[in-house]
Amino acid sequence: MKTLITTILLICTAAFTFAQNGDYSAQLDASVKKLDQAKSVADFQALEKTFVQMGNTRKTEWLPYYYAAFCNAKIGFLLQDDGEKIEPYSLRGEAQIKKSESLAKGDSRVLAEIYVVQAMIYRTRVFISPMTMGREFGPLSDQFLKKAQKLDAANPRATYLEAWTKYYTPKLWGGDKDLAKELAGKAIQKLPATAFSVMPHWGKAESEALLK
Amino acid sequence: MISNAFTTRLILMAGSLLLTLAARAQTRINGDITGPLGEPVPGAHIRMKGSQSGTIADSLGKFYFETDRRGNQTLVVSSLGFKTQQQTLTIADSTITLSITLDDAANTLEAVTVSAGSFEASDKAKGASLTPIDAYTVAGNGGDISNALRSLPGAQQVGEREGLFVRGGTSDETRMFVDGTLMKNPNYASVPGIMQPARINLFLFKGVLFNTGGYSALYGQAMSSALILESIDLPEKSSANFSVFPSNLGAGFQHLSKSGRSSYGGGLAYSNQGLYNKVVPQRPDYYHGPEYTSANANIRVTTGKTGILKAYVAFAESNIGMRNPDTDSSLLRSDFRLKNPNIYGTVSYRTDLGANWRLDAGMAYTFDKNMVHNRLLVGSNEPIALPNAPFSTKNSDITLRSHFAQGRAVFTRSFERNQAFRFGGETFSFRDIQHYNGTAATLRDQLSAVFMEGDIHLSENLAFRPGLRAEYSSLLRKAVVAPRASLGYRLATGSQLNLAYGVFYQKPENRYLFQNRNLGFSRSEHYVLNYSKKANNRFFRSEVYYKKYRNLVQTFPDITLAGDGYAKGLELFWRDKKTVRNLDYWLTYTYLDTKRRYLDYPESIRPSFTSPHTFTIAIKRFFQGISTNVNVSYSYAAGRPYYDIRAGGDAGTRIYDSGIARPYNVLNLHVSKMMTFFKKSKFKDYSGFAFGANNVLGTKQVFGYNYAYNGQFKTAITLPAPRFFFLGIFMSLGIDRTEDLLDQSQ
Repeated sequence: MKTLITTILLICTAAFTFAQNGDYSAQLDASVKKLDQAKSVADFQALEKTFVQMGNTRKTEWLPYYYAAFCNAKIGFLLQDDGEKIEPYSLRGEAQIKKSESLAKGDSRVLAEIYVVQAMIYRTRVFISPMTMGREFGPLSDQFLKKAQKLDAANPRATYLEAWTKYYTPKLWGGDKDLAKELAGKAIQKLPATAFSVMPHWGKAESEALLK
Repeated sequence: MISNAFTTRLILMAGSLLLTLAARAQTRINGDITGPLGEPVPGAHIRMKGSQSGTIADSLGKFYFETDRRGNQTLVVSSLGFKTQQQTLTIADSTITLSITLDDAANTLEAVTVSAGSFEASDKAKGASLTPIDAYTVAGNGGDISNALRSLPGAQQVGEREGLFVRGGTSDETRMFVDGTLMKNPNYASVPGIMQPARINLFLFKGVLFNTGGYSALYGQAMSSALILESIDLPEKSSANFSVFPSNLGAGFQHLSKSGRSSYGGGLAYSNQGLYNKVVPQRPDYYHGPEYTSANANIRVTTGKTGILKAYVAFAESNIGMRNPDTDSSLLRSDFRLKNPNIYGTVSYRTDLGANWRLDAGMAYTFDKNMVHNRLLVGSNEPIALPNAPFSTKNSDITLRSHFAQGRAVFTRSFERNQAFRFGGETFSFRDIQHYNGTAATLRDQLSAVFMEGDIHLSENLAFRPGLRAEYSSLLRKAVVAPRASLGYRLATGSQLNLAYGVFYQKPENRYLFQNRNLGFSRSEHYVLNYSKKANNRFFRSEVYYKKYRNLVQTFPDITLAGDGYAKGLELFWRDKKTVRNLDYWLTYTYLDTKRRYLDYPESIRPSFTSPHTFTIAIKRFFQGISTNVNVSYSYAAGRPYYDIRAGGDAGTRIYDSGIARPYNVLNLHVSKMMTFFKKSKFKDYSGFAFGANNVLGTKQVFGYNYAYNGQFKTAITLPAPRFFFLGIFMSLGIDRTEDLLDQSQ
């Protein structure tokens, strides 16, 4: 009798834990799939909420915060002509990516992913007011991109961001549209056409946009 | 052994009992409340909508409570500093575990600030708010901050004089303050009918606050407007720069110490329009210059953790000789010769004193010598002295030596939620010695002031700034108290309603005090209502005001303070950086209704320096592909009134003739191409070419008329030449200052 109860309890606990894990994995899976389709500010806003909620529920995973920050970075890029409207997203994104970094446990390839998004977040800060914030946050963004590239030279998203920067920087300050296109092409080549995974795999559509 | 049947019955019984219990029992809801990044929110309130059940989260943000409700319910979670969140949930019989994330309340991002009556250009500006560079790069400003600000609402387009004429006030009613201390002579000494450039380089300032009314109690002695400038702190890097425009040469450097805690620098500028005037004929016949020479040096040192000491000293001299046809006789000419050396020095110090206190102190010194010789010429420029009026007064030698010193200290005690209390004092010491055809006269004045001001946040969306200022002049032997107050009310994120009120005193100009010292202060009172909205890289601002003048100087028949007047108006500002990419433009409209009884005016009339309608556009576009900036500005001002006022038959004066001058209409263009000359050098240079033209269309401008002594002739006051051009190169080594250099070299 005793063993029976113990067994039932054990099974229950295991099932419960499994259910919870399954819940998180399934939710993350679904959300990342949605993220792959997201286009509008509203899409990213809704997804950001979901990722934050997941992050706060699990507390120890870097990925949900990473994606939340990525959503905020994307919103910043979409709103780049809207000045001060970007600021709250940029600030939230910065806090989220720092949180993600603190949970990443020093894995260099993961850190490279994180720094790419951090570089994007600082780029959105420049959009708020290029004249006043560009001098501080432009170089900071470049710095994080370089950090990412140093940690993982094969990261296609770092290559994409470098292409973006080259594309939109005025010639005088080192911009080069041809080089940008070349880099965007390289970024696409680096992106593996493997099966779906929740790990960062964005960058194709973004790179293609630079080639148009 | 217990029988199987019994066991089955027992289980069934227990099961039904459990079911009944469950149906009656309360459902337990537990969970945790976190902030945006998973940090616990202790003390959050959690309750069911429309019921009493609920609880408060513990110190770890965890909570539980029980409810007997079933089905779809709404949970409301709130906590100070966070957005209240509603979450729907379906309650069945089993325990529910929730994890709820609250968002930061949007309003806590930025505190509401008081901004009636002021235009701020700051190096911290966001979106479509102005930055100093935005103001400096308005086409046609000639490197003069006052001129640059004429593209903002409230300022008049007065093409024949330097300075800012704000809301029915004269340019003497606007004062410029650098790090708190008065900059007494921001422009080279006035030349009749010709605007004079600024002595100081625009790019020394990182913050510009242009107050067109109702300004802070920390400043005084300006009845219309205070232009409050904040100088830059340490430079980012060491750098050197120079520019070569045919008639303007400039060079400067900044050296930042290795520790990054101090810097020094200096600059030289020399401008001689003589050659240019040979190529582009000018209306006055310039026989000297205009020539402007300036040199400056600065030191900046950080002290302790938060302190910075800044010192700046400059020498600047103008040297001009010109001849014009005499207004009273076509056979005669008048010769105007001016030499105006000036020394300006300022030291400012600011530091935190402990956690909540801050000190801002400053000293300034100015010596200005203004030498003017007027001669009447005949034939081939031979001087002539004619004993009868009006010619007897046309030969004169005037030298005015002005010494000015100021000391000032302001203490700030800061409180939570951006609240603060400021108080301090300042004293101004003036000594002016005038030699008029050999007769000397001296004026001395010690003007002292104490002031205090508070920033109070009455609620999250309401900020109140009351202030009080008391001033005493030893020359006038009068003390006055000036109350000030302003209010800012935030309607929504980015949109705000502002109110301002203030009383402003100013002592009469020296030219009147030399003749009568028994005058008091002139006085103005401002009422300002403002609405502004900033969103999505666009900025709209509207302001209405009423201004009342009392005790203005009257010069006829004697010098008294019997004058008065008013000004009221509406001003609009619209800036849009969003609609077209890389294109930034702003539009302003200024409506001004003003009249005053002042100087020799026989009655209350519209002053000749005011225009009822002013409209300006500033457009800037950066063409990225060719690294070229194109700036265009256009201003329109309805015609200004002009008068022939002379002594009448009786004791007073009379208006013998009057009219409205033609409207002012000016288009300015400025193009600059940026490039690098030495790509391979270890010192990267940021260089370029700049070209500019003021009054591109060559529109004839008439600002007013000078009348002959007897009113028989009038001479139009107009531009020295229909158009003004400049072309040159500039270079900066070590630091990208292309943006900055473009405009100082105009």
